Amino acid sequence: MVLELKNITKNFGGISALTDVSFKINKGEIFGLIGPNGAGKTTMFNVITNMFLPTSGEISFHGEKISGIKPHKITDKGICRTFQNIRLFSQMSVLENVLVGGHCRSNSGVLRSVFRTKSQRKEEANTHKVATELLELVGLSNYEDVIAENLAYGQQRRLEIARALASNPSLLLLDEPAAGMNETETENLFELIKKVQQRGVTVLLIEHDMPFVMKLCDRIAVLNFGKKLAEGTPEEIQNNQEVIEAYLGSEEDDQIA
Amino acid sequence: MLGELLNPYHLQIASFIMINIILGISIYITLSSGQLSLGNAGFMGIGAYTSALLTIHFELPIFIGVILGALVAGIFGILIGIPALRLSGVYLAIATLGFGEVIRVIFVNWESVTQGAVGLSGVPHLGRELFKTVTAMGFEPEMLGLRNNQVVYLMVLTLLVVINILLIWFFIRQNKSRVGRAFAAIKMDEKAAESMGINITYYKVLSFTQGALLAGFAGALYAHVMAYISPADFAYHRAIEILIFSVFGGSEVIWGAIFGATFMTILPEALRVISEYRYMIYGVILILMMAFRPQGIIDVSLLKWIKNMIKSRRRTDHGTGTKKHN
Repeated sequence: MVLELKNITKNFGGISALTDVSFKINKGEIFGLIGPNGAGKTTMFNVITNMFLPTSGEISFHGEKISGIKPHKITDKGICRTFQNIRLFSQMSVLENVLVGGHCRSNSGVLRSVFRTKSQRKEEANTHKVATELLELVGLSNYEDVIAENLAYGQQRRLEIARALASNPSLLLLDEPAAGMNETETENLFELIKKVQQRGVTVLLIEHDMPFVMKLCDRIAVLNFGKKLAEGTPEEIQNNQEVIEAYLGSEEDDQIA
Repeated sequence: MLGELLNPYHLQIASFIMINIILGISIYITLSSGQLSLGNAGFMGIGAYTSALLTIHFELPIFIGVILGALVAGIFGILIGIPALRLSGVYLAIATLGFGEVIRVIFVNWESVTQGAVGLSGVPHLGRELFKTVTAMGFEPEMLGLRNNQVVYLMVLTLLVVINILLIWFFIRQNKSRVGRAFAAIKMDEKAAESMGINITYYKVLSFTQGALLAGFAGALYAHVMAYISPADFAYHRAIEILIFSVFGGSEVIWGAIFGATFMTILPEALRVISEYRYMIYGVILILMMAFRPQGIIDVSLLKWIKNMIKSRRRTDHGTGTKKHN
């Protein structure tokens, strides 16, 4: 088991964004988190990466309790994320973005950097090697020196994935990776996420593109109004009455309308 | 020949340029992690007074005084940098400006130590101390055909140039490393940087402290170059002047601060006649820069353009070279 969420509740003032949500993610699987807008999916990501502290509940990662430690330490432990509204370092080059991703896997400080000791040069060469490999993986090898903000939208999303992978995570969180992509781009993304899985990385993703989610994910959890509605394989979710109601509205709702 | 060329006044201005470049780098380095600090005049004052008082009262050698001045300013940098983490943008600018004023008011009012608004005179002069050392070693200015005061100012300038080259080298290398990338990442998107595993608390305090340390270092050098300091040297005007180095020259790259400091030091000297209007001119420059070139004169794309120019020049030189062979 990679990640286990136990009874997570998160309140913002009087509003409950997440209520008593629990699920487990197994090693090597692609786990989908879906739900209507405002269901609390991104809040869940922020809770997992400790950007927000949960009001109650417990998160364990590889069996170790991680609630309450700093966000940068979470990355160090092996959880890295992308953002719904792309947050690249927009003035940096594509390569530099990925190099920053390797930050927590290196440790040269000021003096070693300035005097370029042997260990620092070795470390820097290694960070570069990993970055070039990852850019090849996401298909951005020819864009190394391009400034990130000049990339096309789909490329920016892929760069975010490369940057996150540079921190060598065992769990990758993707927040709507297919948002705003056309069909070809979505297909490429599908291949990319499969490749990431083959590298032994467990993936947790939020996505609104249902055919994409159903095709890609091994298991899915559905959130609605901060509560977990259902959890299961794509087939189970597709046939779950409550889920259908949450997405399409129930028959009573129709009568009222 | 050499003796006629070296005007002590020009040497002195060149020394001020060097000190101002250090101040320019000090604000650049805090800006490179996205923090706008206007407290560098205060840190400069701390460095200057620390070194001046230590060398006057305890007769410490100047270089130890300067190092201690920089360190004390650096410690203040840590103390201010940690609470300042909660602030960003204009709020941080105002808070650090406030800090600078507090420091200045302390210098004015702590008369038993700082002699108040009168200032400290009789600070050991860097040039004259160096001169004493070299003459004791048997050097005579006449050997080079120079007058004593020319040698004094020339030695100060040489020392400062060496210090500046080392500092610029240091920060260019730091910038190109993991540390520099962390600074840049924090500047561009703090939340994303944190998510990528960067300890933003550490790096923000680090860059703030480096800035304070450098400002203190520059202040200590200033004290020993001027041989006289007063609280007015480290007032609000100085804070704005340091800011202008970076805003005018360019805040994205280290060369911006260097260019800004050089240009803004020469400008008032070149325009002696209208020096009374200096601060007015500064204001106009700030407004014009904000309106037309907010990133400053020197930015990344200009540097790239210059690099390409040099490259293509070299290529054509090479081309004519082969033609001659034919």
